[in-house]
Amino acid sequence: MTKKEIFINSAFKENAIWSQILGICSALAVTNLMMNSLVMGLGVIFTLALSSSTISLIRDLIPKRVRMMVQTLIIASYVIIVDLILKAYMPQMSKALGPYIGLIITNCIIMGRAEAFAGKNPPLDSMIDGIGAGVGYTVVLMVIATIRELFGFGSLFGIQILGEWFTRWSIMVMAPSAFFVLAVLIWIIHGPIAAKVGK
Amino acid sequence: MAEAKSLRERRFYPVLFMIIITVIFVGLLATFYQLTRERVETHRQMVFKTTILQLFELPTDDLQSTYDAYIQEKMLDGRLYYAAMDGDSLIGYCLPISGSGLWSTIHAMVAVSPQLDRIRKIEILEQNETPGLGGRITEEWFTGQFAGKMLVQSGTAVLFELIAEDEPAGPMQINQITGATASSKAVVDMLYKEMSGFQQTLIQGAAQ
Repeated sequence: MTKKEIFINSAFKENAIWSQILGICSALAVTNLMMNSLVMGLGVIFTLALSSSTISLIRDLIPKRVRMMVQTLIIASYVIIVDLILKAYMPQMSKALGPYIGLIITNCIIMGRAEAFAGKNPPLDSMIDGIGAGVGYTVVLMVIATIRELFGFGSLFGIQILGEWFTRWSIMVMAPSAFFVLAVLIWIIHGPIAAKVGK
Repeated sequence: MAEAKSLRERRFYPVLFMIIITVIFVGLLATFYQLTRERVETHRQMVFKTTILQLFELPTDDLQSTYDAYIQEKMLDGRLYYAAMDGDSLIGYCLPISGSGLWSTIHAMVAVSPQLDRIRKIEILEQNETPGLGGRITEEWFTGQFAGKMLVQSGTAVLFELIAEDEPAGPMQINQITGATASSKAVVDMLYKEMSGFQQTLIQGAAQ
């Protein structure tokens, strides 16, 4: 596979959310605001790129039996580094995201890519695969967040779009709505779109 | 024969590997922590001082000099509190309070009148409540409800009563956050506990 194919494969064909149904917990939790989703997505892309390439770099040294422990250790370290950098240089953002950053550790996509790709492929390919998976995740998050923020708050990226006449749908602000939006999204992709692309 | 087994086939290899990789990554984290510590700490102090000044509606443009001019740090019974002075007249007190929330400890700042009987304003500094639900305790509409409320009613501290989010609140009532009863209650409870304790120590201190 070429680098481009690796990227397209992990970002879209094997998209973590709609095709593997991984990382759903965070997709439900952070998507009521677009800004939160974007920063969460960037955090995941950064962590994925670093953890996938690191794991790939030492893949021949990792004893098979303890590989999960090693993966968790590496992922957790990078997440803490992201957290420290945000705290030191982007305190406002760090405050807004608070507990979400720590949640990146438990994002199954990262360990999923480590297991499925980084453990078997060279570092650069793994990094591209990680970035691809992160981008795929971020795209889905942004789509859900756009719908939820627009109907829940009447705004996009915090900028009011819909006027006073608009009655906010409180359900969109709460987590259950993400289930509905995500389900409809997965249905559209697996139904009409897959039929067109000819999956 | 002794050469037959390579290091990686040895039984202790996984243990050795884990130890080495843990040391490397913990070292990396410690380095990052040290590098960012000072910045994080300076920023935390700044936020802290800004919050205190805002609680007394003082300007925050020239943070350090305004802080030095108006705020005095005091100790009482091993706990730190702050007195805001405008020249010789006391504007009010401000003290850090904390209590257990749903997931972790909530830290807040509360400013009270010189007689300790009325809340000027409260501000939540740190919390880890459920985002979107309990996390809303930091929002202005929730904390703003406490401003101007009486803390003491006929000699005893007031425990605010929680009522539904959209009902009109009386002087001893607070609108709770729908879906976050535990977090709302945590704020009200810690205010009651900490403030009645502070009132007592300050009264005792004054009597001595």
